[in-house]
Amino acid sequence: MAVSAGFRNDLLAAIPSLRAFAVSLSQNADKADDLVQETLVKAWDKHESFQMGTNLKAWLFTILRNEFYSQMRKRGREVQDSDGIMTARLAVHPSQHGVLDLEDFRAALEKLPDDQREAVILIGASGFSYEEAAEICGCAVGTIKSRVSRARSRLQEMLKVSGEEDFGPDAIAAQVMGSNAA
Amino acid sequence: MNIMSNDMGGSGAKRGRAGEKNTLGPNSEIGRKLKQYYDGLVAEEIPDRFTELLKKLEKTEAGGKEG
Repeated sequence: MAVSAGFRNDLLAAIPSLRAFAVSLSQNADKADDLVQETLVKAWDKHESFQMGTNLKAWLFTILRNEFYSQMRKRGREVQDSDGIMTARLAVHPSQHGVLDLEDFRAALEKLPDDQREAVILIGASGFSYEEAAEICGCAVGTIKSRVSRARSRLQEMLKVSGEEDFGPDAIAAQVMGSNAA
Repeated sequence: MNIMSNDMGGSGAKRGRAGEKNTLGPNSEIGRKLKQYYDGLVAEEIPDRFTELLKKLEKTEAGGKEG
C-alpha cells in the first residue's frame, strides 16, 4: 500500500522532535542524525502498522528508542568522550546565583543513566504523559514516575539546586554593580 | 459500558500532565532548564539529508519494488 502524502508530511513535521530526542539519548549530534535517518526509513517501511488517529509522535519515538538501544547492544557501551571534560568543568563552577548555565545543565543531564535521562526528557520536555512515556519505554507507569523523580533529585544534587526559589536578586544586582563599577 | 478501557488521552492524560507540573513544570528550575535545553534542539534547522531522504523514499516507492 502506498504511503500517503499526509503520512509523509507528518514524518517531516516530526523530524525536529525526533532529532531533539535522539540527541538527548545519544548525546552526540552525528549519531543522533543517523538514528533519525534509521527511524524515518523504518517508519516508512512499517507505515501500514501505524494506526491512523493514534499518536504518530509516540510511535516514532518508540521506533527511535528501540533503534538506539539495539545499536548500543551491537556496539557495546561506548565511552562518552566529553564526559571527563564536562565533569571537570562542572566541578569548577556550580551555579553560583541559582541561575544555571545551559552547558552545566547539559553536562549533568549527560551523566544521568540512560533510563533516567530518557524519562525526564519524555515527561519534562517532549510533552508526553506518564502513560505515553511508559508505552514508549515499554515499562510500567510507576517505573517512569520513579525514574523521573530520581533523575530530578540527581540533577538537583549535581547542579546544587535545592529549592524552587533559587532566582535571587543577587544575579541581577551583580550585573548592575558590575556595569557601574570602573 | 466500558468506563475502564477508553480513558487514554482523556481525563487520564490530563491528570498525568497536571501531576508532572509539580515536579518538572515551569516553577521548577530543573524543569525550566530541561525545556530550554530541549527547545533549543527542536529549534535547530532540519538538515537537507532528511528532506532528501523522504524524497528518495517516495521515488523508490513510485518506481515500484526494487530487486
